[in-house]
Amino acid sequence: MGAMPPLELLDRSRLLVVTGKGGTGKTTVAAALAVAAGLRGRRTLVVEVEGRQGLARLFGRRSLDHQETRVAQRVQGLAVDPEASLRDYLGRYGFAPLARLLTWARLTHFITAAAPGLGDVLLVGKVWEASTRGQHGYDLVVLDAPPTGRVVPFLRAPETVAELARVGPIRHQADQVRELLDDPERTGVVLTCLPEELPVAETLEGVASLRAAGLPVASVVANQVTADRLGGRAGRLTALAKDPAPLLEAARRAGAELDGRGLGVLLAEARDRQRQVARERRLLKELRAGLGDLPLVELPFLAGGVGGPDGVRALAGRLAEVPEEPPAPRSLRAGARA
Amino acid sequence: MSRTIATQAASPLAELARSARIVVCCGSGGVGKTSTAAAVGLWAAEAGRRTCVLTIDPARRLAQALGLDLLSNSPKPVTGKGLPAAGPGSLDAMMLDMRRTFDEVIERYARDEEQVDRILANRFYQRLSATLAGTQEYMAMEKLYELHESQRYDLLVVDTPPTRSALDFLDAPDNLNELLDARAFRLLIAPAQRIGRGYLRGLNMATTAMTRMVRRVTGSELLAEVGEFFAAFEGMYDGFKERARLVYDQLKHPSTAFVVVATPDEAALREAAFFAGRLAADRMPLGALVVNRIHQAGRIPEVPEAARRRLAEGGADGRLLADLIELHDGLEALAAAERRRIRALLATVPNLGVVRVPLLADDVHDLPGLRRLGGYLFAEAGPA
Repeated sequence: MGAMPPLELLDRSRLLVVTGKGGTGKTTVAAALAVAAGLRGRRTLVVEVEGRQGLARLFGRRSLDHQETRVAQRVQGLAVDPEASLRDYLGRYGFAPLARLLTWARLTHFITAAAPGLGDVLLVGKVWEASTRGQHGYDLVVLDAPPTGRVVPFLRAPETVAELARVGPIRHQADQVRELLDDPERTGVVLTCLPEELPVAETLEGVASLRAAGLPVASVVANQVTADRLGGRAGRLTALAKDPAPLLEAARRAGAELDGRGLGVLLAEARDRQRQVARERRLLKELRAGLGDLPLVELPFLAGGVGGPDGVRALAGRLAEVPEEPPAPRSLRAGARA
Repeated sequence: MSRTIATQAASPLAELARSARIVVCCGSGGVGKTSTAAAVGLWAAEAGRRTCVLTIDPARRLAQALGLDLLSNSPKPVTGKGLPAAGPGSLDAMMLDMRRTFDEVIERYARDEEQVDRILANRFYQRLSATLAGTQEYMAMEKLYELHESQRYDLLVVDTPPTRSALDFLDAPDNLNELLDARAFRLLIAPAQRIGRGYLRGLNMATTAMTRMVRRVTGSELLAEVGEFFAAFEGMYDGFKERARLVYDQLKHPSTAFVVVATPDEAALREAAFFAGRLAADRMPLGALVVNRIHQAGRIPEVPEAARRRLAEGGADGRLLADLIELHDGLEALAAAERRRIRALLATVPNLGVVRVPLLADDVHDLPGLRRLGGYLFAEAGPA
């Protein structure tokens, strides 16, 4: 099964694979999950594999590299690079001289560039290695994986290549990687989504294809959900747009210089926003229906964007269900989306 | 502030759609790249040009709207209400089938049937060719060039894959050089026959030792397959390289225009800046920046803090009004942040025309939707 409530997922799993359609906040959610796990006391490693340095920015650094580096409380960050992984890998299996020779002949670049299938094997291998270091290693590894369309071939790359190699270390490691990835007790795939039409449809397709590949889908995170500030009061907006007298009266009593035109602007914006809220509710309902018993976690739209550590920390607080550090970031209160 | 959209001068896209031969849309995922490409194509068709939209992986509903069959690897007419039935303009669309395009390329450059069969049957090719670095991008450009050469169209609009490597095809001539011509690798595969000359004997010994080790790591079959794969390409490299150069030259030609598509959020604009920088570095003709889904706030008189407090402490109407004002402030702050980010990007790319499209109420997934989007792209109708 694999479906797990978010807290249990943070507290129990060993490897979280975060994927999603491009632009749905995959890297942000991976960072927030890692920080959330750190907040809950787990030694966590968050790993980037696509060389975009997206994680680094979220943690307020210029870059991350193949050295594991502290990025938040109990959280280390790592940007895996296929070439460095190849050298690691060869070193691990006692082929250090070969690694040096390859470097000398500038072949690693060639090999990994010529066949990203092989590069993927090395990247996945590195993630497996970090997840299984044992006692002195990490409690949890969070992987910012490739987007939904590429994630299955990516995770199955060791398998694919191993089919061509019946014996030897590659075969052996592929088996071990598969064991970890397929184990719902240890591994959970988290899909990120936006409350928009295409991402919702593609998330449902993504869940199906991951399951078809035998990977344990654990949860879906809907990102950038517009907060419903008005709630039941939204029902009054239409009437007020026709006759704003009650609001004019309230403005007059409070000494706010708002005339009919100003109120018209406010009401039009509020109605736009409410339409957006309603649309998102409808889409999230569809998503929830499609997901069955798979948990759906909602994260708020942050008006200031999630450009750095503060935004990540705010989202992590939500995920970890720990109180935010006072004062609550303004961005969480004033999430606005027209 | 919203006025900037309504009052901007003629859209830089209008000129492109009227006169360019090739428009390449690039940008990160989820920014409306395919919709933008399709809207540009539709507008050009309606302006009387024979147009083809070439897409890599459109959202299914947009594909349906364009009448795209998932399996077709050649252009098909888009049918629908209001498309130019008569007259010079027409709109075709196709979705790239990567694998088939790759197979076609092999067929074109292979010496004979036997070589074609050998490559297509190779397990390494079958499993990994589709994911070869930059293959998708290269194949898109290959197909683009083929259509361009056919002269069936006045304008080709292509959207690239949503990855940072989307512009890797710019490196295609160099990459192909490096990948297919990597002598060192071929030495590794078949050291014995190739190295006869004395001065290479040392290298020969080294590579033999290396081969032994590689075999131990990978298992010999894998290496053999990889070796066969590269050996099978023998003699095709020159054709590939020549073709890559032609494609590159065509992309650089002034009749081509690159359009960078983004949304005003930080990540998308950063990607846009990356693409713009990359294109500038290669001296590619950068046509315009399209920023979709821009937030806009209206203007209201300033409401002082004291009045806000009185509203919040007042009755239900006062509290509602206080909340409406706070929502407006949030929206205004968001719109201002977006403007700032767009300005910052434009500051890094001199003379780049920008087209701003407001957040639309609905996803674009049919021809009327594309036409609405086109209205904003070509500034025929700004928001009220």
